[in-house]
Amino acid sequence: MAFQSRRKFCYFKENSITEVDYKDVKLLRRFVNDQGKIMPRRVTGTSSKMHRKLVRAIKQARNIALMPYTNISTES
Amino acid sequence: MRYYESLYIVNPSYEQDRLDEVMKTVSDKMGEYGFSIINHRLWGKKRLAYAIQKHKYGSFILLHYETETVENLDRFQRFMILEKPILRNQTVVLDTRPEVQKEDETVDESKDLVDSQDRNSEKKEKQKSEEEAKEVVAEESGETGDEVVEEKASNEEESVEKEILETVEETVEETVEVEEKEEVQE
Repeated sequence: MAFQSRRKFCYFKENSITEVDYKDVKLLRRFVNDQGKIMPRRVTGTSSKMHRKLVRAIKQARNIALMPYTNISTES
Repeated sequence: MRYYESLYIVNPSYEQDRLDEVMKTVSDKMGEYGFSIINHRLWGKKRLAYAIQKHKYGSFILLHYETETVENLDRFQRFMILEKPILRNQTVVLDTRPEVQKEDETVDESKDLVDSQDRNSEKKEKQKSEEEAKEVVAEESGETGDEVVEEKASNEEESVEKEILETVEETVEETVEVEEKEEVQE
């Protein structure tokens, strides 16, 4: 009963994206969970280089209120 | 030459005239500090992810500029914080010179926003119209006889199984209608 997991891939490498823009909320939402937490690299499969850029972009988006810090009370 | 991008949120209750005033004061201040503006445009009115000064919405204004000296950046930041209509601002450094954007793009983005906001209301309207159509069909079939009514009801029940959310409302409506028709025929 061998369980074969789905192979992970770097979303940015597949789509040849080199820079992450903090204004692109639609893209950033793929990499946070329902609570608004940033998903770990071991889950998303993002390369470490792009993950660093991604984390920075998500934090910038949070600062300017494009993304939530937490999603417990405000989301309806 | 270094390139910067500032995004700032203006009080959502401000209309176009007052927004223009705010943008003008910011532009004037930038001229004073020796920054040259590349883009300065309204990005659109958006819902904030969290409330800032009890505002749920905000008018986002995007500003691209270039400068050679870094001295006045702190002063400009200070000015942006102290400016009352500006709820929040953020400046990031850009690696390359940003492209000059036309004003038409802002209109398109604002349209998208409106569309996304109206999606829920459109869905509700669609559901309502579907329910009304089903009611009409049930009424028409009610005049012909009981058997047809039962067939319609069974067909509706099959479709109801797919849409779990509507089940409760529709079944209640169906039973009520069938009961009423039976009373009339008796």
